[in-house]
Amino acid sequence: MKELLLQRLGWIGLTALALGLLTYGLDRVGLEPVSLLEAGLLAMTPLALAAVGECVNEKAGVVNIGLEGTLLISAVAGVWVAEQFGSGVAGLIGGMTVGGLIGLVLGLLAVYGRSDQIIAGIGLNLFALGFTPYLLMSLWAFPGIHIFPRELMVPRWITPIGQISPVTVLAVLLAILAHVLLHHTVLGFRIRAVGEKPEAVDVAGVRVDRLRLFTSVLGGALCGLGGAFMPLAWFGGVVKEISAGRGFIALACVVFAGLEPLLALAAAFLFGLTEGIAYAVAVTPGVKERIPFYFVNMLPYVTTLLVVALVIGRRRFPRTIGRPYARE
Amino acid sequence: MLAHPHFRPSVRTMGLRIEMREIHKVYPDGTVALRGVDFRLERGEIVGLLGENGAGKTTLMKILSGLLPPTRGEIRIDGRPVRFRNPADALREGIGMVHQIFTLVPPYTALENILLGQEGSALWLAKDRARDRVQRLLEETGLSIPLDVPVELLPVGVQQRVEIAKVLYRGTQVLILDEPTSALTPLEVEELFRFLRRLKEGGRSIVFITHKLREVLEISDRIVVLRNGRVTGEIPTIEATPELLAEWMVGRAVVPRVSRSPRPPGEPVLVVRDLEVMGDLGLPAVRGVSFEVRAGEIFGIAGVEGNGQSELVQALGGLRPIHRGEILLDGKPLPPLAPIEAYRRGIAHIPEDRLRFGMALNFDVAENSILSRQWEPVFLRGGGRLNWPRILTFASELLQRFQVIAPGVRAVVRSLSGGNQQKLVVGRELTKEPRLILAVHPTRGLDVASTAYIRELLVQMRDAGKAVLLISADLDEVLELSDRIAVMYEGKFLAVGPVEVFTREEIGLMMGGMIPEGRAR
Amino acid sequence: MRRARPLLESLFAISIGLIVGGLLMLPFRYDPLKAYQALFRGAFGTSHDIMETLAFATPLMLTAITFAVGVRAGLFNIGAEGQMYMGAIGAVFAASLLPLPPGIHVVVATLVAMLFGALWSLVPALLKIWRGVHEVISTIMFNWIAFHLAMYLAIYYLAEPGRAERTRPALPTARYPILAEGSTLTAVIFVAVLFCIAVYFVLWGTRLGYELRLVGENPEAARYAGVRISRALLWSFLIGGMAAGLAGASQIIGRPPAWSLYATLGNVVTLGFDGIGVALVGRNHPLGGILAAILFGALQHGGRFMEYHAGVLSELVRAVNGLIVITLAVPELWAMVRRRWIR
Repeated sequence: MKELLLQRLGWIGLTALALGLLTYGLDRVGLEPVSLLEAGLLAMTPLALAAVGECVNEKAGVVNIGLEGTLLISAVAGVWVAEQFGSGVAGLIGGMTVGGLIGLVLGLLAVYGRSDQIIAGIGLNLFALGFTPYLLMSLWAFPGIHIFPRELMVPRWITPIGQISPVTVLAVLLAILAHVLLHHTVLGFRIRAVGEKPEAVDVAGVRVDRLRLFTSVLGGALCGLGGAFMPLAWFGGVVKEISAGRGFIALACVVFAGLEPLLALAAAFLFGLTEGIAYAVAVTPGVKERIPFYFVNMLPYVTTLLVVALVIGRRRFPRTIGRPYARE
Repeated sequence: MLAHPHFRPSVRTMGLRIEMREIHKVYPDGTVALRGVDFRLERGEIVGLLGENGAGKTTLMKILSGLLPPTRGEIRIDGRPVRFRNPADALREGIGMVHQIFTLVPPYTALENILLGQEGSALWLAKDRARDRVQRLLEETGLSIPLDVPVELLPVGVQQRVEIAKVLYRGTQVLILDEPTSALTPLEVEELFRFLRRLKEGGRSIVFITHKLREVLEISDRIVVLRNGRVTGEIPTIEATPELLAEWMVGRAVVPRVSRSPRPPGEPVLVVRDLEVMGDLGLPAVRGVSFEVRAGEIFGIAGVEGNGQSELVQALGGLRPIHRGEILLDGKPLPPLAPIEAYRRGIAHIPEDRLRFGMALNFDVAENSILSRQWEPVFLRGGGRLNWPRILTFASELLQRFQVIAPGVRAVVRSLSGGNQQKLVVGRELTKEPRLILAVHPTRGLDVASTAYIRELLVQMRDAGKAVLLISADLDEVLELSDRIAVMYEGKFLAVGPVEVFTREEIGLMMGGMIPEGRAR
Repeated sequence: MRRARPLLESLFAISIGLIVGGLLMLPFRYDPLKAYQALFRGAFGTSHDIMETLAFATPLMLTAITFAVGVRAGLFNIGAEGQMYMGAIGAVFAASLLPLPPGIHVVVATLVAMLFGALWSLVPALLKIWRGVHEVISTIMFNWIAFHLAMYLAIYYLAEPGRAERTRPALPTARYPILAEGSTLTAVIFVAVLFCIAVYFVLWGTRLGYELRLVGENPEAARYAGVRISRALLWSFLIGGMAAGLAGASQIIGRPPAWSLYATLGNVVTLGFDGIGVALVGRNHPLGGILAAILFGALQHGGRFMEYHAGVLSELVRAVNGLIVITLAVPELWAMVRRRWIR
């Protein structure tokens, strides 16, 4: 177990080194490392939130492939709530609530409906693909995009390493909390058991359905917060493809982390940094002309694939992952 | 395991008096499991609940332990009606069940498994505080368990102790054990029985579910027999005879024995030399086994499951790599990991678990009748096309010849009963015109008639000059059918020889890893 | 009853999808009845509409094959989207840049598109076989990579001179004939249907198909039967890739008026994802997929009328698609309904 952890840390270290070198290279061609870190942390936040929640969820044996759809819908919902209450923070809470509700529905379908969780998740993603533009049009009567007033943006803190969103700090805290929850509390003890052997939890007199519903709602809520973060604390507007595959990158983080929240946070940071680089390259004069924008855009996806292909196979997942539980 | 001499229950036990009345159970898919069962349990007694597979024993006890709701009927404890919505309710009333398939969390330690659901605190997990209490329980009951090893690394017998400790830790007065001896060696069974008697003396009541006559006669005070969801008989154990119980159990006088005429064996068909095969965890599962199976003989391997039998057969069938040694079929080595080559050379393989390996439940009868034979030129036309007319004819012949009851060759095999599914698999394999038949648990879970029929088929194959390798967890089956036997323990053969030279007791000892005197090989 | 069950389940899921879709119109004061009326009249009202519906159905029955053949082998291949982009790029390349004689040109362009689609599915296939990378993650990542790559190629190498918003159009020799004046339905639909029938034949009439389905039903039994699992998986991906590539081609050389790929990929995006719903409604059967594709084609074509007459954005149709998929993921829903009303 310890060895595995070391191995993972080694991988992260190596990748960080590679990224450090890349950063240096980018610095040489005229990019600023501070702005890079800033962009990386912003990009990390929704990934980390979605991934940490999903780690806990999958530990309990429930899979939500629909993170992408959850991000999309809660991004729109967050903006709408923010406008209703005139507050970005209210929007974040709204996004979190909507995400939690989506998690609740998926959880109900999985636990009581014994749904095929992968297909249900794919369905949610498809639904969001159509529902988001429909919502954008119906709410704001403008196709595909909505820009809201600047004062609704959640303010960032100015620090020596650039501007940092409070939500980013919250995401880090939540990752630590999730770790503590899983490994040091009675609830986490039961959550881990239910993913491995729901029968054991059931005969011990603990409700399997409630545990799994709880993690499903928790995972959805964190993902929803990540969704609302994107327009309200990052982009300043919402477009119909705002999630851009981040839900799946978050899933890759979960796989990479072997369902450990802290490692998922680290993975999210790595992916965030690649995205930050992509963003920085795309806007920095002198660089954007040299590297075609389209290739830079592929970077997060290529990285995800490479990382997953390299580390997978050594991961141990709960035995009953994705499978419904029924007493005979 | 239960060496503690002064066993005294810590709590002054009152015992419970339980009554179940007119219990009916219909599963959501329409299967009727119980048709009005009355069952009672007095304080401090051991009741043997006897019946064949599917008689409803386990269902009845799952209802008593709160895991399943009854469709109709009532449960009374000391005369007071109760209703269990889940196992927690039953545990609160002091009723706990040890299931046949263990409900342990594999990567958790024994301590963690015992604590699960009874952590003793609401928020923070404090294992060390609870450890003392668990330790005390183990001392009182005389159970010996290593507390800090993940249970997946413990032997099955020890895992069962963890299960029992888990239930007792909750202050259980009524202990239900579902087929507790199926994975134990004879020695372990005796220890378990001693332990159960001590629990009884302490005032607890025990329900012992089994289908083994010998055991129920030894351990119980009273026997209740179920057949097809009904109670067919109830009797104090001292008055019971095996013949009477067997009749209640199967509804017919006795299980027909297969007659096996002596026959001189022929040439060796299968020769295995110093075979070593790795298990799933990367440790050797078969550790240097050598034997041969001759034409016209049944070679039986006895042993408690999980001692390398599965890995051995998988290596022979080309499903598992060989780590060392060699396998010769008709004098020529068998290439490893090439099932089709094995089939081509004349191996038929009745796999250990038909649902896992032997068939695809959503395929129809015709499709399943060519599973593992889909490469045979008979069933193909040019360009890799399937020859459907021939496959359909073959499938209907199979149904007829092997007495498989099915709605038709295009019926999904899911709709067939377990016995008919197994007959389909057996028929498919035996019609391969094999040189060697690997038969693993060929009659597991089948009714009496199908069992007798399949055993007869295997003997016919032997009489027709085929070599048969029989592996079964059912010792009686091995003894009844085999010409020669081997006893397998921890990946090795402890003894090989003609079936007549061993006594049942000797084999029992060897299944537990002890070599009887004068039997050292 | 037993045979009719899949059909009833699909109809049930479609109804649930439409009803919930209707409920989603209510908060925004749209009239669901009016919207659906416009939708169905638009989809089937005139023979011209029926042909348009079929034109919309053509790529969908193909991308449905991608998902269906995957599921048959136990895979969740949701890479039709990206494989379709690459197929479209292949079609543009062969149809607009290679000067070939009529007749042969169409065939070559079609085959090149299928080849591109198959090649794009090869990497996720090999990652799955060699490294065990879950196909949902790898195919989604490949969809995004394809998205950016296709746009890059369309703009940098295949753009029509002077018109940056789209690629060079297919040469007339590479175009499928239009079936009726003023319609966008071309003979490519026959190729699509033939492809579906061929896949049906492969799955149920050949040893390869038998082994592929066996891997999906019970991988351990497949191993016992001597099936080379990696080979079955590879074929599942490749057949799916060819289908998606053909779907991409159908939008370039089989769909007027553009006969080209928009630089935003606007005339192909989401067709691959839509195929998932089509496949599930068609019970992952190539022939069932044809029927389901016609239904979804009707929703898409009719959706425009819904937008025009009732003001409901046609993208809602896609949300309905998702709702149908979610409903089909929950067999218990249907079981509950059956217990309550049918018994």
